[in-house]
Amino acid sequence: MSRYDLNVVLYRLKKDRAFRERFKHDPDRALADVDLTDEERDAFVRWNPRRLNELGGSLHLVLSIPDLAAH
Amino acid sequence: MSHVLHPPYYEKNVGPHGKRLVEELIAIVREMGDKLAARRPDALVVIADDHLNVFSFDAVPAMCVRIGRSVQRMAQEGAIEFDRALDGLAERYPVHEVLANRILEDGLDAGFDFAASWSAPLDHAFLSPLTTLYGDRPIPPLVPFWVNCFVQPLPRADRCFAAGKHIARVIRDGPWNVALIATGGLSHFPELSMARVGTSDVEFDRRIVGWMERGDYTALTALSTRELHESGSHELLNWLVLMGAVAPARGRVRFFGEMGRIDLAAVDWPDA
Repeated sequence: MSRYDLNVVLYRLKKDRAFRERFKHDPDRALADVDLTDEERDAFVRWNPRRLNELGGSLHLVLSIPDLAAH
Repeated sequence: MSHVLHPPYYEKNVGPHGKRLVEELIAIVREMGDKLAARRPDALVVIADDHLNVFSFDAVPAMCVRIGRSVQRMAQEGAIEFDRALDGLAERYPVHEVLANRILEDGLDAGFDFAASWSAPLDHAFLSPLTTLYGDRPIPPLVPFWVNCFVQPLPRADRCFAAGKHIARVIRDGPWNVALIATGGLSHFPELSMARVGTSDVEFDRRIVGWMERGDYTALTALSTRELHESGSHELLNWLVLMGAVAPARGRVRFFGEMGRIDLAAVDWPDA
């Protein structure tokens, strides 16, 4: 089963430009109110697409985030 | 048929070999389009998957029928390149509303709990094959049909096949001349965590194409979600809906190309 909160962040990064810019500028702060495990948060902050995918992040989201795509 | 028919993508990611193969495939698809257009279908049922362009993690339908009178092309800031390639195409396409409603409503009566959407737009999975098939000719009214090929849990192969049989029943019972198109694949993009990320599973693809040629739908419907996942062949679920509609006819392989990153194919069922 996919992890909902992790994928919601990936989806927002793909679709919400303002959120994406906030994340690129200060990922810790952009994710402050999001319900993530420490492991998930670390993978976002360090921007590790492979780890995000291993943790249940949808491949198609990881692959298609503008300016951050792991394609 | 495969649904990224965009030579610059393959040239960039695979090299000249990739570009040449997809150009060969596009030439074949255009020939198939000539024959399809000559049959003057009243409607095209197009079975494809969403790449989390349309649906979100708020709700992902296992299968969804697009209803309404027309359907728009997806527009998305920062879209990946083969979706950006759609930017110059028509923004709106007609939906065959009566056939779409029949597939949906009769499906619910028959025990298929299809979702319905009045607003889902079309991405490359629909428009890249359609515009290659039709070129400058007007595209007939569509019935877009989505299968969830990526967000676990996925519908089973045999359930997709059964949905295709239902679609064929609706078409057979109606007055329309209808063509079906399924898009996606073949194997590509296994999960990033797998050792062979970015490669196709040639052995798997040869096997399933062989089953299509022999009409071995028992083997095809026995494929497990795990097998589809590990081979990167999730999008075969779209093909399985079509195969349910055309079985027991045998497929005719018009193109099969091994590219390394993704294997490409075009198959038709002329005797269906």
